[in-house]
Formats: sequence, structure tokens, C-alpha cells
Amino acid sequence: MSNALIFGGMAIVSLFVFMNLGKIKASKNQTGRENRINRFKEGQKKFTGNKDVTDHGGFE
Amino acid sequence: MSKHSAINRFGRSRNPAFSRNFDQGGFRTQSSSEMNAGSGFRTTSSVAESTDIMTLDGAVNKTGILLALCFTGAAVGWNIPALTLPAGILGFILALVTIFRSPSKAGTTAPFYALVQGVMLGGISLMYENLYDGIAIQAIGLTFGILASLLVCYKSGLIKPTENFRLMVGAGIGGIFILYMVSFVMSFFGSGISLLSPTNGSLMSIGLSLGIVCFASLSLVLDFDYIEEGAEKGLPKYMEWYGAFSLMVTLIWLYLEILRLLAKINSRR
Repeated sequence: MSNALIFGGMAIVSLFVFMNLGKIKASKNQTGRENRINRFKEGQKKFTGNKDVTDHGGFE
Repeated sequence: MSKHSAINRFGRSRNPAFSRNFDQGGFRTQSSSEMNAGSGFRTTSSVAESTDIMTLDGAVNKTGILLALCFTGAAVGWNIPALTLPAGILGFILALVTIFRSPSKAGTTAPFYALVQGVMLGGISLMYENLYDGIAIQAIGLTFGILASLLVCYKSGLIKPTENFRLMVGAGIGGIFILYMVSFVMSFFGSGISLLSPTNGSLMSIGLSLGIVCFASLSLVLDFDYIEEGAEKGLPKYMEWYGAFSLMVTLIWLYLEILRLLAKINSRR
């Protein structure tokens, strides 16, 4: 019974942490690195939601 | 998914960074999801709507939905263990379809995947539970514990996934995959790799399981990074489902490996 309580509680707390922390942006320490994995091609400008996208010398 | 059906289903992206990609066939699989940006991206001053793009909120919420479906399926599988094998096969097919055929349809396939994999997990958990009482809840607690702790490490920048990190994890997972395949083929001849057996409590076998759990855990970090980067770069909305799906695949793998590890440890008693 205590086994179920401890591990069940651990699962619930962890899920709560995941559901809340997951929605927060990672620290600058993580996102500002130069050696990040670049899954999407270089030259892809960061898209910032409501801000206007500026000229990048591309097509069109 | 064809270009036109994708546009009909999801609408045309107003994100200028992706308009060219949609014109060229959209995204490919996760492993090769480099965007075909070509000579850069379109220049415009239009304001894109944030509802069209991937967000962290959306990806986490969708993961929550998939987890809920997985638990629902697990309740079914726990009560009807005969469904375990068919659900496993169907889940495997759905995973392949989502990964290789159409990531853009992940919104349709991922919930079904979570549900049927849940059925499979329910059956497998019951099997282990019959062997060792209380093992399933331990595995669930440890799986979510690892998920949360690695998320904290990732968000705080304690673990920094780099290209080398990805190569290391990829190579490790490749090796594990080969091991599984060899064991699978050997099983047709009435044999198998005894180190993978859940009843093998030798230190070597437990060490192997620990290693596999480590690689499964580290691939969670890659999933977090994928979702974070996708949200930063404003991928299309459907990639939230794809990110949630990839997290689910890793979580299911991690859970199964933890179950196996705990069974091995219990078999020593």
C-alpha cells in the first residue's frame, strides 16, 4: 500500500511539474547557446509571433 | 499528405517563414525535418497570427491529452489482456505511419497511437504485476519522475543537447535497436538473447537494462529540445501533435524498459 502511495504520488507530482514547467520557455543558458542542434536550416529567422517579419534578402 | 489536403485541413500558413515550405511539399519526418528554405525566406511585412504556429503550451497540452488516452487504453488492456498483441502491432503500424508517412497527420494518428499503445501497456503491465506485485506503479512513478527531473535539467540549462549529444544518443539507440532485432530473429529459432530476458537477474543483464534506460531517458532531452526549437522557430500548428507524439513514443519505451529493469532486480530476491 505504501508502495502505491509513494510511487503514485511521485507520478502525480511529476506530471504536475511537467504540465506546468513544460509551458515555460527554457532559460537563456539553454536557448542562447551557439552549439545548439540546428534541426531546421540555417538562415531561418526566429519567428516572434506578433512582430513584423523583416527583410532577409530572400525570394519574392 | 498532399499539399492541397494539408492546406484544406490546416489552412494555409500565414507565417512567411513557412509559406515556401508548404509550396514545396511541407515537412518531412522528424529525423530529416530540415526545412527546405532554399535561399532564405519570403520577405513581407505582414503580421502572422500566433494561432497558426506551434507553441510550448500547445505541445504540452497535447502531450497531456495523449497521456490521458494512454491511461484510458491501459485500463482496457489491464482488463482484457488478450488485446495486448493486436494493440502492439497496430500501435507499431500507427507509429510508422506517423513518422514516415505524414507528420502533418499526427493530429489524427497520434491519439489512436496513444490509445492502442495504452491497451498494450495495460496488458504488459498486468503480466509483470502477476510476477511481481506492485511493479507497475513503481515503473509509472519512476517514468514520470525521470520525465520531470530531466525537464527541470533541460529548462535550467543543466543538460545541453548538442549535435554530438544527438549523435551519441542516436548511436546508442541504433545499437539497442540492432540488439532487439537480433533477439527478435533468434526468437524464431526458439532462442534469444538471455541478457534481455526480464527473468535474468545477473548483474550484466541489469547493467544492460540500466544502460538502455539511460539512453531512453536521454532521448527525452532531445524531444524537449525539438519541441522548444519548434516553438521558437514557429513551426506549423500540427507539429505540436508531432512533438507530443515523439514524447509519447519515448515515454512508452522508457516505461517498458523500467518495467524490465525492475523485473530483473526483483528476480534476484
